[in-house]
Amino acid sequence: MKLIFEKSVKARDGYSLPKDLFDEVNTKDCIPEYAVSDSKKVLSEVSEVDVIRHFTKLSKFNYGVDDGLYPLGSCTMKYNPKVTEKLASLDNFIYAHPLAPEETVQGCLELMYDLNKLLCEVTGVDQYTMAPAAGAHGELTGVLIMRQHFVDHDDKRHKLLVPDSAHGTNPASATMGGFKMIELKSNERGTVDIRRLEELMDEDTAGLMLNDPNTVGLYDEGMQDIESIVHGKGGLLYYDGANLNASFEIVRPGDAGFDIVHLNLHKTFSTPHGGGGPGSGIIGVKEFLIPYLPTPIVAFDGEKYYFSDVGEKSIGRVRAFWGNFLVLIKSYAWILSMGPDGLRNVSETSVINANYVLAKLKKYYRPAYDRYCGHECVLTGRDYKKYGIKTLDIAKRLMDYGFHPPTIYFPHFEPYAEETIMVEPPESESKEVIDEFIDAMIKISNEAKTNPDLLTGAPHNTRIRRVDDVLAVKRPILNYGDELKLKDELKYKDEDINF
Amino acid sequence: MRYIPSTEEQKKEMLKEIGVSSFEELIEAIPAGFRFKGRLNVPEAISEAELEEKIYQIAKKNSDFFLMKPLIGAGAYRHHVPEAGKFLLQREEFWTCYTPYQPELSQGTLQSIFEFQTYIARLTKMDVVIPSIYDGASATAEAALMSFRLTHRNKIIISALLHPHYKETVKTYIAPHEPEIVELPHKDGLVDIDGLKKLVDDDVASVIVQNPNFFGGIEKLAEICELVHSKNALLINAIAESMSLGVLKAPGEVGADIVAGEAQSFGMDLNYGGPYNAYLATRKQFLRQLPGRIIGETRDLDGKRVFVMTMRAREQDIRREKATSNICTNHFLNATAANIYLSLMGTEGLYKVSLLNTKAAHYLENLLLKSGKFEKVFDYPFYNEFLLKSKDSVPTLNKKLLENNFIPPLEVSKFYKEERFKDVLLFAVTEVLCREDLNRVVEILAE
Repeated sequence: MKLIFEKSVKARDGYSLPKDLFDEVNTKDCIPEYAVSDSKKVLSEVSEVDVIRHFTKLSKFNYGVDDGLYPLGSCTMKYNPKVTEKLASLDNFIYAHPLAPEETVQGCLELMYDLNKLLCEVTGVDQYTMAPAAGAHGELTGVLIMRQHFVDHDDKRHKLLVPDSAHGTNPASATMGGFKMIELKSNERGTVDIRRLEELMDEDTAGLMLNDPNTVGLYDEGMQDIESIVHGKGGLLYYDGANLNASFEIVRPGDAGFDIVHLNLHKTFSTPHGGGGPGSGIIGVKEFLIPYLPTPIVAFDGEKYYFSDVGEKSIGRVRAFWGNFLVLIKSYAWILSMGPDGLRNVSETSVINANYVLAKLKKYYRPAYDRYCGHECVLTGRDYKKYGIKTLDIAKRLMDYGFHPPTIYFPHFEPYAEETIMVEPPESESKEVIDEFIDAMIKISNEAKTNPDLLTGAPHNTRIRRVDDVLAVKRPILNYGDELKLKDELKYKDEDINF
Repeated sequence: MRYIPSTEEQKKEMLKEIGVSSFEELIEAIPAGFRFKGRLNVPEAISEAELEEKIYQIAKKNSDFFLMKPLIGAGAYRHHVPEAGKFLLQREEFWTCYTPYQPELSQGTLQSIFEFQTYIARLTKMDVVIPSIYDGASATAEAALMSFRLTHRNKIIISALLHPHYKETVKTYIAPHEPEIVELPHKDGLVDIDGLKKLVDDDVASVIVQNPNFFGGIEKLAEICELVHSKNALLINAIAESMSLGVLKAPGEVGADIVAGEAQSFGMDLNYGGPYNAYLATRKQFLRQLPGRIIGETRDLDGKRVFVMTMRAREQDIRREKATSNICTNHFLNATAANIYLSLMGTEGLYKVSLLNTKAAHYLENLLLKSGKFEKVFDYPFYNEFLLKSKDSVPTLNKKLLENNFIPPLEVSKFYKEERFKDVLLFAVTEVLCREDLNRVVEILAE
C-alpha cells in the first residue's frame, strides 16, 4: 500500500486551527536563537479526506476479534464489549488531568478504589497497584517488590526460579529486576518437577514465577508441594496472570499460596489489545508486601477518596501518574456486567472449549501432553515434519480458511513441546465457530499429506502473501527515509506499492 | 450471557464429546485444598442499561472536565484531538487485534507504525525510532538502562528539572544495577552548565536532560551535549511535551544520543494519566541495544512492499533473560493515534500549532505579570509552561479558578521543597485556551 508520504501533495492540509494565532507575540521573544530549528520539519501534506481513506484502507488489511476466531494461546483474545468502550470515553474521564485537585477527580479515584476491592476478592490478595501498563511491566514491578522485600529483611537472595514453560517476559523481567534467572525444567507431565524444585530452591533463591494453569495449559497438581517448598525456604511465589481465564471462582491464586499476583486486564478482563496495546498488567499482593508497592495507592476516609503514599519502603514509581486509567474503566465495567455467575461461566466455558478442541484434534496433531487441559491446549505439528511441513505452514494455511492462527512455537521445550500449536478458544467463541476451526485443522492435516505445496505456499487468499522476514533483518529499512536512500536498489514497480 | 454464546445444552454436548460426565472432571488436577468454595463476593450481574447508569454516576463525581480548561500541564497536555482521529481509532480492525506477529493479517497496524517511526525520525532528526514504550517516564528509564549497556558504566547524572515522576521511575528501573546517581542542579530555571562541567567524569554512562524542562525552560542542549560527549558519556534527551518539536531544534541537530519522548500531545486525550505512548529514538549504531518492538520494510512472495516486526533478536521472547528489555505489550494503538494526528496536522499544521502554544503561553505570562499579582521566579526562555510566584494565597486562587472552570496550575512546592518555591505556580498553555480564556484567567486572578 502507498505510504501516507506518497500521498502527500504540496500545499494540501488536513488541520483546523483557531484564526487567532497570537501573531502580535514575536516568535523571537518565545524561542531563543540557540533553539530555533534549522529548517521546518517535513511531515506530510494531506487532507482529512485523504487521512480517513488512508487509515480506513490500512484497517482493512488487519484481522481483529470482530472478524472471527483469534485462538492465540496465552493471549486470551476474547470479545471486547462495545459498551465499555463508550464508558471509557466519557468526557469526565478523558478530559481529567492526572494532577487535577483530588476533589475534582473523586469519580476516577472511586473507580480505582472499587476495582481494587473487586479484584482482591476475585484473586484472594489484599491490595493492587494499578500502575503497571502491561504484563511485562507488572512482572518487573512484582520482581522489584520481591527484591525490595528481601533487601528490607537484609536477605541477600540473588536467584529467581522460572520454569522452562514460562513466557519470554518472565526470564527477562527476572534479569531486569536484578536476579539471576534459574530455569526450572518441567517434568514428563508438563508441570513443575517437584524433585528438581526441592534441589534448586535454596536460601539464595527469592522464589518462583509461575503460571497456573501453566503455559502448556495444565493446572499444576503439585501446587501444594510447590507452595510448601518455596515458602519453606523463605521464598515468595509470583503468579503470572496470563492464564487466569481458567480460574474464576475455581481457584484464587491468593488461596493457592501466591504472594504476588499479576493480572492482564487486556486478556482476562476483556479490554482490547489494540494491535499490541495499551493493556494493563496490574499487581496485587498479600498484606505483608503492601509496604513495597509502587506509590501511591487510592484510599478512602469514609467521605473522600485520596492518594495515599505507600511509604519509604515502596519500590518507587514505575511510570508517570497512576495507571492506564481508561483500561481500568473497561475491566471494571466488565466485572459488573458478569457478576459471580458470569465469571464462573467464563472459566467453565473456556476450559470446556479448550478440552473440546483437544479431544477433537488430538488424533491429527499429537498433543504435547495428552491430559485434560485448562483454558488452552497445546497440540504439535511434529508428525508433519516428514512431509516437509513446518508448523508455520499449518498456521499460514489456516489464514486461507479465514482464521487467525493459534500461537505457534511457544512454549518450546524438547522432547514434548516442539513444533507447538497453542490453541486458546475463549468463552466468547461459540461451538459452531470452534467446529469450523476444527474442520479446517482436519482439512489442513490431510492437505499436508496429499498436497504439501498448498501449505508451504500459504497463505493464498489473504491480501498479501507470505512475508520475507529474513530480508527485513538483512537490509534494515526502518523508516521511509531509509527507503528513499535505497531507491535505486529497491526499484519498486507501481504494482509493488499500489495495491 | 450475551458475551458467552454457547448454550448449556451445547456445553453438555461438548463435555460428552470430550468423554467426561461433568466439568469437575476436567479440573481434578487442582488440589482440593486450594479450590475456591462458595461464591465470589462481587455484585450480581447488571444489565447494560444499569451499567451505563452506574458508570455515569461515577463519572459525575468528577468535575465537568470537558468545560474545564487546564492551566496545568506537567507532563500531560490537553491539546485538541481531531475527531477524524478518534473516529478512525474506533475501527475494530485496529483495536481488537493482537500484536502483529502474523504480518499477512496485520499490515494495517504494521504500516501505520512504520509511518509513525518515520514521523518521529523526521521530528527528532534521529536515525532509528522505537515507536512504543508505555510512557515518557518508562521510556526515559529504558534509555538509562540502554546507556548502561552501551557504556558499561553505571553512574548517571539526572537533571533536577527532569519531570519528578520520570526521575522516580528511572531510579526504580535502575536500582538493581546499584548505580551511582548524581543530581544535576539547576540555575535560573535551566540546567547549571558550570555545575555539569564539575560533575561529568569518565565514569558517567549518561546525563538525562529534559527539554523543555519541567519548568518549561528551553535548555542549551548543544552546549550540554558537547560537555557530555567530552567524557564519552551519552546525552539522553527526555521530552514530556513533544508538541515543542514543531518549532524547536531537533535533538538530532544538537547531538543528543537517545531521545525518550512522550507523544501524548499527538492525538491523545488526558485520560487521567493513561494510556499515552512514548517513543525512543537514537543513532543507527545503537540499534541493537534498543528495547522494544520495531517495524521494518520487506517484501512478500509476490514482491510487494510490506512491513513486519524486525530486529527481533533483541527481544524477550527470543533472547529471554539476555534480552535488552522485558517489554512485550506496548501502546501500538496510541502510536497509531499519534500517526493519524501527525498526518492530519502535516508539516504546516504542526509548525503552526506548536508556535501557537508558545505564543499563547507568553501572552498569558505577560498579562499575569502586568496584573501585579505575580512575579517572575526566573528570567528564562520557556516553551509553553512557565513559573510565576503568586503574591496572593494559592488556595484562594485555586478556588477562584475552579469556580470559573479552569484547572489550576501546578503548585511546584508539591515536588520541589526549597523555600523559594513556596507559592510558585507552573502554568501551562495550549491551543485549547483562546485569547478570551486567557484574558478571563487574568481577570479572575486580578479580582
